[in-house]
Amino acid sequence: MNSSSIWFIIISVSIVSILPRILPVAVLSRFDFPAQLKKWLSFVAPAVLGSLTALYILAPDGYIDLSINNNFIWSFIPTLLVAVRTRSLLYSLLVGMATMALLYNFF
Amino acid sequence: MQSKELRQGISDSIPIVLGYLPLGFAFGVLAGEAGMSTIQATAMSILCFTGAGQYITLGLMQAGGAVITIIVANILVNLRYILFSTSLVPYLKGRVPTITGSLLCYGLTDETYAVSMNRYQDHPPTALYIAGLNFSSHLGWILSTFLGAVLGAYITNPDRLGLNFTLPAMFVCLLVFMIRHRSDVLVALSAALICLLIGHFAPSTMGNLFNIIIATIIAASLGMVINE
Repeated sequence: MNSSSIWFIIISVSIVSILPRILPVAVLSRFDFPAQLKKWLSFVAPAVLGSLTALYILAPDGYIDLSINNNFIWSFIPTLLVAVRTRSLLYSLLVGMATMALLYNFF
Repeated sequence: MQSKELRQGISDSIPIVLGYLPLGFAFGVLAGEAGMSTIQATAMSILCFTGAGQYITLGLMQAGGAVITIIVANILVNLRYILFSTSLVPYLKGRVPTITGSLLCYGLTDETYAVSMNRYQDHPPTALYIAGLNFSSHLGWILSTFLGAVLGAYITNPDRLGLNFTLPAMFVCLLVFMIRHRSDVLVALSAALICLLIGHFAPSTMGNLFNIIIATIIAASLGMVINE
């Protein structure tokens, strides 16, 4: 693939990745959303977080992996416990990353 | 007060930046292998802040995919941001000027979305907070891409340091923090289940992340029903 095709791809991908991010806020801010729609939208964040967490932990390589060899599941457990107990992002991250590093280097 | 918001945004971006390091680095390395120069790889991370989309682009380039295929794949993978951006509207409206808020959404990613929505549960959004969070996250993405493109194979596997668990750990944490009501738990769990099921039965959605869109729409609607 030549250099100008690559630049063309970069610019095109840039446009299609920016528009869906900035247009809704630019266009929809003019309107008053009905209460029901606001309520529905308030569930978007928990739903997205649930989806992303499930994908990261249970399908880290793009397919579902429920085996005991999936280090993401083992690292998830202490991270969840620390997050619930301490409600500290820092501690949870440290515990999660340390668990992952241990599993990666020693198992 | 104002600079405090900016600082808070920057400090909230630290876990995101840590998580982006190995991902951006890997993108830089792979971009070189796919035929991009260091300048092109770095420019792509400046102009497109879309990890999944950028990886898909490289994959399709190496597989000899047509340019139109690459663009369509990126439209699909970025569609979920319409949903994210729309859900930000009720928070930003009246607090951040529309033009500013819209432009700052250039830095909207799964990660900056999750962190800022968590923040807005008990702090009103400000332009400076969003700027601090989004720009530093984007800067981390750009710099790690550049380093990956330049250093390539010199750096040993970052997985050894557990860096590959930074973003998953952050999502787990933000999910725990965000849950306020029983309905949130049910929405999150059902989205997780639906997302995996769709991904399992339609594996292409694991790549274009369409499963997140469908799962979110169904689970949020389920939330409305539970809430009635």
